[in-house]
Amino acid sequence: MSDLMAGAPFQHSGRNIAQLMQTLLYALLPGIFASLWFFGFGILINIAIAITFAVLAEAAMLRLRNRVSRTHLSDRSALVTALLFAIAIPPGSPWWLVALGIVFAIVIAKHLYGGLGKNPFNPAMCGYAMLLLAFPLEMTGWHIPFEVINGPLTVDNLGIPALTAERELLSPLSWGGFKQALLLAFPFAASGAIDISEFVDGLAMATPLIEFKMAGKSALLAARESGVSLFARESETAWEIINISYLLGGLFLLYKRIISWHIPLAIISTVFVLAALFYAPGHVAIYGTPYLHLFGSATMIGAFFIATDPVSAATTRPGKLVYGIIIGVSIYSIRVWGSYLDSIAFAVLFGNFCAPILDQYCRPRIFGHGLRSKTDRARPNEAPVKS
Amino acid sequence: MSALRQLASRFFSSDTVFARRTVGGIQPLPFKEDSLRSRIMSTPIPQQLTIPIGAADGPEITLLVDIGEQVSKYKKLAVINISAEGVSDVPVHAPTSGVITSIENSIVADHSQQQQLCINLAADGHDEALQLEPQSNYSLLSRTDIVFLIRDAGVIGMGGAGFPTADKLSKCAESAIEFLIINAAECEPYITADETLLRERANKVVLGAQILKRASAARRCIIAIEDTKPDAIDALNQALQNETGLDQGCELVVIPSKYPSGSERQLIQCVTGIEIATGHHPTENGIVMHNVGTAYAAYEAIVEGKPCISRFTTLCGQALKTPKNFEVLIGTTADFLFELCGIETSNKQKSIVGGSLMGSEFGSDKAAICKTTNCIIAASANEFQAPQAEQACIRCGFCADVCPSKLLPQQLLAFSKTADTTQLLGHGLLDCIECGACDYVCPSQLPLVSTYKESKKRIENRRQDLELSDYWQQRFQFHQYRVKKEKDQAVSRKAVVPAKPTLAAEPAVKEQNDEADFISKEQASLDIAAAVARVKARRDEKNK
Repeated sequence: MSDLMAGAPFQHSGRNIAQLMQTLLYALLPGIFASLWFFGFGILINIAIAITFAVLAEAAMLRLRNRVSRTHLSDRSALVTALLFAIAIPPGSPWWLVALGIVFAIVIAKHLYGGLGKNPFNPAMCGYAMLLLAFPLEMTGWHIPFEVINGPLTVDNLGIPALTAERELLSPLSWGGFKQALLLAFPFAASGAIDISEFVDGLAMATPLIEFKMAGKSALLAARESGVSLFARESETAWEIINISYLLGGLFLLYKRIISWHIPLAIISTVFVLAALFYAPGHVAIYGTPYLHLFGSATMIGAFFIATDPVSAATTRPGKLVYGIIIGVSIYSIRVWGSYLDSIAFAVLFGNFCAPILDQYCRPRIFGHGLRSKTDRARPNEAPVKS
Repeated sequence: MSALRQLASRFFSSDTVFARRTVGGIQPLPFKEDSLRSRIMSTPIPQQLTIPIGAADGPEITLLVDIGEQVSKYKKLAVINISAEGVSDVPVHAPTSGVITSIENSIVADHSQQQQLCINLAADGHDEALQLEPQSNYSLLSRTDIVFLIRDAGVIGMGGAGFPTADKLSKCAESAIEFLIINAAECEPYITADETLLRERANKVVLGAQILKRASAARRCIIAIEDTKPDAIDALNQALQNETGLDQGCELVVIPSKYPSGSERQLIQCVTGIEIATGHHPTENGIVMHNVGTAYAAYEAIVEGKPCISRFTTLCGQALKTPKNFEVLIGTTADFLFELCGIETSNKQKSIVGGSLMGSEFGSDKAAICKTTNCIIAASANEFQAPQAEQACIRCGFCADVCPSKLLPQQLLAFSKTADTTQLLGHGLLDCIECGACDYVCPSQLPLVSTYKESKKRIENRRQDLELSDYWQQRFQFHQYRVKKEKDQAVSRKAVVPAKPTLAAEPAVKEQNDEADFISKEQASLDIAAAVARVKARRDEKNK
């Protein structure tokens, strides 16, 4: 840069990456609190493990890449990756699973591609996808929400009397629940206690959508039909509230202009339209209602927090719309016709694949381009002056 | 309510103008209130004036005075011949009476950041002026007369571009002009010169606008001003009511405050809804735009017969105790004005000419005010945040959201880094107006505009290199042809056969054909060589 040019403009809005990331973290809080309320301390332990390893991995990689770790660490991008990753992982996962995933995300998906701003794929989703492929069993074991186990109705319907014995341990916001969550995360610490993961594995599901897909008219569905209050810690309402919390967080991001409306709107409307088109009540196939697809799954967090990761998303406005539609179609297709439980990670990664080509071909019209001035119209045979 | 009215007017009356939504833009903190506190001040006559007359490598200059000569106020000192035909002469006049002490290069407070040839004038303090010739009834003047008088008064665009006003006016003769837009938007932070001018002398500005309207034969005259300048709007409304104008009055349009709404194409779009195609001049669409300061200068030139020897300049910045606006003589040095505002020298970190978003830093406080110096900022150490360590572009797209040209700054940055000329041009690098809005919002603190300027320069240099190499290629081909022809002639001279007199005209034609033939053959091989060289050069450039 020559000395002549240095300087202008002198005034700056004062925004910086750290602030953006900070706002993003705030926006995630309602969703995290909702998860905490319904699923207990597992999510906090996930977050704690993920953040610890993310910061360690980030610092190590910055050091290896000869970057000043202090300035780069303070951009908080590793925190955001860690948080998004931790939310995606089932609460109650063993610590090594979380650690492995986040280290993969930071080291391989982010820094080996050149660090912040250079990674073509969403790091958190890379980590998640890797774990899903390598440890399918651990990655599909989700906590059963408290009431499902404790409520007399559900327990009867589930017909597993053994579970009632664990109700104290699983009470999400109690000391017992905390201890249990710790034991789940660090199984080596459990000195001959009940191996809780044994039953968590087979029974618990991530979202109502998955329950719907896998269990069909299962016990949990029966519980839903018998009517539950909105704030009960019941599976379906839990996910409703969690999704609404993430939606609120997303709207906060829109209000703060951290993200633009293009990607979330395109994803949500695509999923909604597809779900509405294919939904057939009473049909044997597991299509699900549009409502289930939007609020009974991970659609909201995917649409507002994961697909909008600017680094790996399309960056032009028309490109963002197409990007959102591609992700929306992928989400719906993988859910309904694919074999994976939920599909945000693969759909977003597929969108990442398409982003560069979208940026190249979906460009807004430059101001003053693609026009014919009055004089051109008057003299159509003359070539316009090239600037 | 006003929105409804706008909507209604859009459908029912095409004649009402209203502000439309424009693309992009930012709303930076204006920092205007300090300099708005006082009225426009005249400066005492400085002892020494440094009157810029043009860049060393710029247009030709005709000097009309000698060193040591005693000149009166308003005397023509020099004429800048902007084009060779002599139609675009811009005379420079003496701002006061005194003696020409020297003519030398010195620093000027403008954006070129280069030294300019300046006439140094030692003022004698008497301010003896030549007799002026005011045109009391300007409505009787013809179009050409007005253009001539404005040219003779040395009026140039006061907004910053500095294009000779008379040229702009004569360009209007080429096409029918629908709109004359007087640009009072003044959207950039810190600058308040136009605002104070309107606040205090709106009548004269409106008269100037009428004169410009007459000179450009525009059907309508629109004064566009931002809604953040209520005093100026009031003054303008008053002036428009009292207007004893020519054929039809001026109209006032209040536009929303959004930087860079004062940029020519953006303002045209905002006020008329017409988007000027890239590479075309607004006059082709029947639009011409002048700055408020220019309108005032036109008023002075015609009604008072006074040449352009002063301008309105904002002095502001935290290093000044009392920021204010001056009617300052051209050639006054910056330090003289700083003194008048009470400068805390120890606190001043840099001096900037222009606003805080498009301004340039100038090195010496001895820099002279020229006809385009609209603002000088004496910035204190903590006034502007020091450039922070730039971080990686995270492609957040904030820059694209605020770009008034609808460009993709994040992509342009990536292509600038890889020096990908094709992509840069395809993504509209040359449409960048360098407003700095992208820089302003960038969370990674990337120096975007500087990078684009650099890229533009690189592309321009490359184009010039190619042009030059084409030229030398042609010279070389001709040389080869000549050598070959001489050799051939030497051979044919040995076996000379007298030509038939009837075919005397033929050899010349044949020679031409020979040359064309030879060159076209040579061309093919040289083209290939040139292409290979270009590829190699590009590879070298990349490897660097």
